[in-house]
Amino acid sequence: MTMKKVFFVLAVCVTVTAAYGQDKQFTKTGKINFDATVPKSPENIDAVNKSVVCVLDTKTGAMQFVVMMKGFEFDRALMMEHFNENYVESSKFPKADFKGAIVNNAAVKYTADAVYPVKVKGKLTLHGETRDVEAEGKITVKAGKVNAVAEFEILFKDFKIEIPELVADKVSQKAKIKVDCSLDPLKQ
Amino acid sequence: MKKKKYVKPVLIAVVIIAAATCLYAYKEFNRKNKSLHDLKAVAAMQPAEILSQFANNEKAATARFAGKALVISGKVKSVDKDDRGFYTIALGDDQSMSSVRCSLDSTESLLAASGLTASYVSIKGICTGYAADELGVGADVILNRCVFEPAK
Repeated sequence: MTMKKVFFVLAVCVTVTAAYGQDKQFTKTGKINFDATVPKSPENIDAVNKSVVCVLDTKTGAMQFVVMMKGFEFDRALMMEHFNENYVESSKFPKADFKGAIVNNAAVKYTADAVYPVKVKGKLTLHGETRDVEAEGKITVKAGKVNAVAEFEILFKDFKIEIPELVADKVSQKAKIKVDCSLDPLKQ
Repeated sequence: MKKKKYVKPVLIAVVIIAAATCLYAYKEFNRKNKSLHDLKAVAAMQPAEILSQFANNEKAATARFAGKALVISGKVKSVDKDDRGFYTIALGDDQSMSSVRCSLDSTESLLAASGLTASYVSIKGICTGYAADELGVGADVILNRCVFEPAK
C-alpha cells in the first residue's frame, strides 16, 4: 500500500512538472517578413529573417521576440547593404526586440485544436527607439503544436529611420511586418 | 575648324562613358550576394569558443564578427526544417541550450536532409550576431547563408 502511495505521488509530481514545462513555448527559427514596397512600384523592397527567437508564456500570454537586424535577407546585395548601413544602422543597433502580451490570452485554449484570433500589445525596440505597437494575429493549435502569427505596420520616422526623398517613390515611409513562429514546448 | 575636329571624338568618348556608367549602375543594382563558397572566412573556430567570445564581450565580438564569414566546426545538435523547406543546423554541446545556429543556403538543403544529427561538420556562414540568453532559452550565435565546408 505504501509503495502504491509513493508511486502515485511520484506520478503526480512528474505530471505536474511536465504540465508546468508546457507553459512556455519557444522557437529559435521564427520568421519575420518585412515589406516596405511602395504600392504600384515595380520594385519589391522586402526581406525575410528566419532566425527569430520567440518565447510565449501560454499561462500569462506574455510574448517576447528578439531578431538580429543583419539577418534580414534581401534579394539584391545593394538593397541589403543600404538597409544595414544607411537605414537601420545594424552595426550600431544589431538587434530589434518586442516585449508584450496577448491581450485576450484567456480565450486561447492551448490544449484544444483550433485557430484563435488574438490581439497582441507591447513595446517594439528598433534602431534604438522603443514604441508601443498593437498587432492582430492568430494562434493556431494543431496536434499539440502552437503556431503564432501576427501582422502590424510601423512608421520608419517613429524609429528615427530616415528614408531619403530620392527613393521615396521606391521605399515606403512605413513597413508591413509579419511575424510567424512555430513553437515548441520549452523543457526546463 | 580645329574645334569641329575634336567634337566627334569627344562625343564618342562621352557616349562610351555614359554607356559604361549605365552598365555599371545596372549590374550594381541587380548584384546578388556572393556565394559563401567564394568568400574567405575571417575566423575558424568551434562553437564553445565563439560563444565564449560573445559572452565575455558582446560589443567587441559583434564589431569583430558581425557581417563577416566564419567557419564553425562542431557536433550537430539538431537539424530543423521549416515549412518552406529551409534548414537550420545547431552546432554545439548537447548539455547546453546555447549553440551556433546555422541557417543553410537553399542550395545546401539536400545535404542537410541526409541525417546529420550527432555528426561532426564544418559550416561557413555570415555571422548576423549574438542572441544573448535574455529569454531563458540559451544564448546563440547566428549564421546565415551557410554552406558546408570540408571537415577540419
